[in-house]
Amino acid sequence: MVSKRFVLKRLLLLVPVLFGVATFVFAILHLSPGDPARVIAGQRATAEQVALVRAELGLNDPIWVQYARFLGDLVTLNLGDSYIVRKGTPVLRVLRARLPVTLELAIYGQFIGILLGIPLGLVSAVKQDSLTDHLTRVGALAGISVPIFWSGPLLILLFAQSLDLLPATGRIASAYDVPVVTGLITVDTLVLGVSAGDFAPFRSAVSHMLLPAAVIGVYSMALISRMMRSSMLEVVRQDYMRTARAKGQGAKITVMKHGFRNAMIPVVTVIGIQFGTLLGGAVLTETVFGIGGIGTLLVRAIEVGDYPLVQGTVLVFALLFTVVNLGVDVTYSYLDPRIDQ
Amino acid sequence: MPREYTVGRRSLLKAVGGAAAASTLAGCAAEPEDDGSGGGDGGGGNGNNVLTYARGNDSGTLDPQNTTSGEDVKVTNQIYDQLVMFKPGETSLRAGLAIDYNLEGTTTTLKLREGVTFHDGEEFTADDVIATYRRFVDPEYEHYPGDDYVSAYGPFTLGNWVEDVTKDGDYAVTVQLKQKYAPFLRNLAMFAASILSKKAIEEKGTKLKSEPVGTGAFSFEGWDQSNQRIRLSANGDYWGDAPKVDEVVFTAVGDNTSRAQTLDSGGADVIDGIGAQAAKVVENSSEAKLVEAKGINVGYMAFNMAKVEAFRDKRVRQAISHAVDTKAIVETVFKGIAERASQPIPSNVMGYNENLDPYPRDVEKAKQLLSEAGYEDGFSFELATFKNPRAYNPSPLQAAQTVKSNLDEIGIDVSINQQSFNPFLDYTDSGKHDACFLGWMTDNGDPDNFYYSLLHPGVSVEDVPEGQDWVGFDTEGFNTLDVAAWANTEFMKTVEEAQTTYETGAREQKYRRAAEIAHEEAPWVFIDHAKELRGVGNRVSGFTLAPIGGPFLNRVELR
Repeated sequence: MVSKRFVLKRLLLLVPVLFGVATFVFAILHLSPGDPARVIAGQRATAEQVALVRAELGLNDPIWVQYARFLGDLVTLNLGDSYIVRKGTPVLRVLRARLPVTLELAIYGQFIGILLGIPLGLVSAVKQDSLTDHLTRVGALAGISVPIFWSGPLLILLFAQSLDLLPATGRIASAYDVPVVTGLITVDTLVLGVSAGDFAPFRSAVSHMLLPAAVIGVYSMALISRMMRSSMLEVVRQDYMRTARAKGQGAKITVMKHGFRNAMIPVVTVIGIQFGTLLGGAVLTETVFGIGGIGTLLVRAIEVGDYPLVQGTVLVFALLFTVVNLGVDVTYSYLDPRIDQ
Repeated sequence: MPREYTVGRRSLLKAVGGAAAASTLAGCAAEPEDDGSGGGDGGGGNGNNVLTYARGNDSGTLDPQNTTSGEDVKVTNQIYDQLVMFKPGETSLRAGLAIDYNLEGTTTTLKLREGVTFHDGEEFTADDVIATYRRFVDPEYEHYPGDDYVSAYGPFTLGNWVEDVTKDGDYAVTVQLKQKYAPFLRNLAMFAASILSKKAIEEKGTKLKSEPVGTGAFSFEGWDQSNQRIRLSANGDYWGDAPKVDEVVFTAVGDNTSRAQTLDSGGADVIDGIGAQAAKVVENSSEAKLVEAKGINVGYMAFNMAKVEAFRDKRVRQAISHAVDTKAIVETVFKGIAERASQPIPSNVMGYNENLDPYPRDVEKAKQLLSEAGYEDGFSFELATFKNPRAYNPSPLQAAQTVKSNLDEIGIDVSINQQSFNPFLDYTDSGKHDACFLGWMTDNGDPDNFYYSLLHPGVSVEDVPEGQDWVGFDTEGFNTLDVAAWANTEFMKTVEEAQTTYETGAREQKYRRAAEIAHEEAPWVFIDHAKELRGVGNRVSGFTLAPIGGPFLNRVELR
């Protein structure tokens, strides 16, 4: 059981966390060298033109004035307008377009990770020290160790270039122009398919999703299966497992009914934390697979010194990470009611 | 604990299980059944007439007066026309929205094309030309979008030169210049001088950055931000070569190699931003070919004479020019996707002096020159460079390391200061560097765009102190693009004269002379002119690689 108090307390904690992150990002950006006014004005601009842009943006004001203005805007949920990446467009609107892209990728990646990681870990634990176990463990180690910027292009080489089975990059074939409803392209195309009876865009979206989701999923799978294995190994040695077997219950039922659920508790924690990491890890995947989520957005914003966009994106990352962790804690206490006390 | 706010853990597990099962089913249903959505539909495929152009980044704006970025220009050049335009793949001019153009003295007369309509159906007239001009450079104009909105190209292209723009009827425009200025017609052909609709200027204001209205071969359909995709459709009423494809989709793939792989697998029809590795992928592809052309750009290492005393001696600059192995840099470090430079402009720009050769690598001569200059024991300086590849310098760090080890041989100690491009520009702009890598991609293909923009200090000849060939960065009116702070009065006079000489032959001679002076005086180590590379899919025909004014996608056909 989870109390409303617990959730409320955790939600209130968001405020100082976000304040801290906001301050930190602001400080880092303003301490780092480079003048966004120069970027906006371009290489061709004269010093006078750059000065003019600086003045317009209020970059000449003392740093504490800029900080106060930033916080004041933040309280009213005004994250400002993008300087360069999406010139003059409110940061919130840019993020609204890009966030679902990353979320969708992370969700599918995590889904693949869970779907493969849990059974693999389970089998590995039950058949400890067998060939299957060794293979799974080596596979998991490789999954964690292989960098995405290496595995990504290799997968593209195999599935898109050599076998010609899947598209290389992007989220949907460029022939399709799908209206954005949720921003999750598989959902939007599915809705379109159901309403218009044309499932070709949906198939295209899914086939585009497979490779990047698999790349992210393999990494996630590796962590989950390792955790599942060690957690399960611990559980199978518990007294209640022996008791269950002693009273004549079959091995399969014992493992699934008594072992699995108990072993899941630490795994859920890993899944939760892992989801947060996936959001960040999406940066590489997005770059390799030409997907414009908030990962690539952040990199580009940092590259060109788009202050408002960097601040906004980092805040959203922080918010997501905290919320996911809150979700983990809540789930955790559902699985094991003792924890909430 | 109030009961109504809790959910049982069994029901939660059930719900999660249900959702997982539903997703699994959805996943199964989603398996591609046939080639209709598998490999075949990578992008432009499916037999439809959609051209997919993949590049490194999405656009930031669709307003040509709001940008300094080449990435944005690729798209705006499809939507907008200029009064005078570049011939595809060439640097010469052709009629655009003006069917007749003439520059005499300080007066440019333009006869406008009749019967042209904007994408919103409005007819194109002289009023649009005047509104376009005023919106860009006239803060008094009621629809001026603000100093932080209009780009520096406003003054750079028009404002610095134009006194007044007037009309004579609906189809004749006169542009009065402040002074004689030979490259002016070329400025009119630049993306920044794209013609906007007066009605759209008045009604849309800064919304033009996302809702462009032009007269171009393609009209704007939509900008899908979450897919980094801009969709354009063929303008059936286009006054010029009518587009042969129905739609053009600009898409972004950040990683160069992935972009090349996308081309190879049919997900894109044309790609740009190709480095050495991506070029290999395209070359090895049976589905696409690599197209290359001479670029109109230059990469160099500039000596900051205002800061480092040793650089004020010509012999030191020449010694370094002899010591730096530009051949190795171009062939090995840049992997051959560039050619060596001997002067500020490449051979496809007017006034190129073919009598000049790149400084040959000659360590002995370099040592001798250094010793003549009194630096036989060497000295040390800091070489500032940007970290990320630029077209004219695809491996800046490796190139800097090559310079460092080359100069070590003649006793000069180089320390490398690497920065991101934007802080770096800030650094060089304010003259903090000892020496720096930099480069330039042309705006209008005119030699003035190199010589005056990059090597003229912007001050008048009289303001250069006697017996000195450099000025300080703090000099009133100093052109901060002259990162060498070079102010050679003979050179200055030559390029100033060339700027006001209209007769082509005479003008060319002046630039040939300017090239000689620059070569001899060596304010830069001339490094390279990068090639332009594109990957083009086999089903594409009629694609011309245009280093300036393009891409001309209206001429492209899909088989």
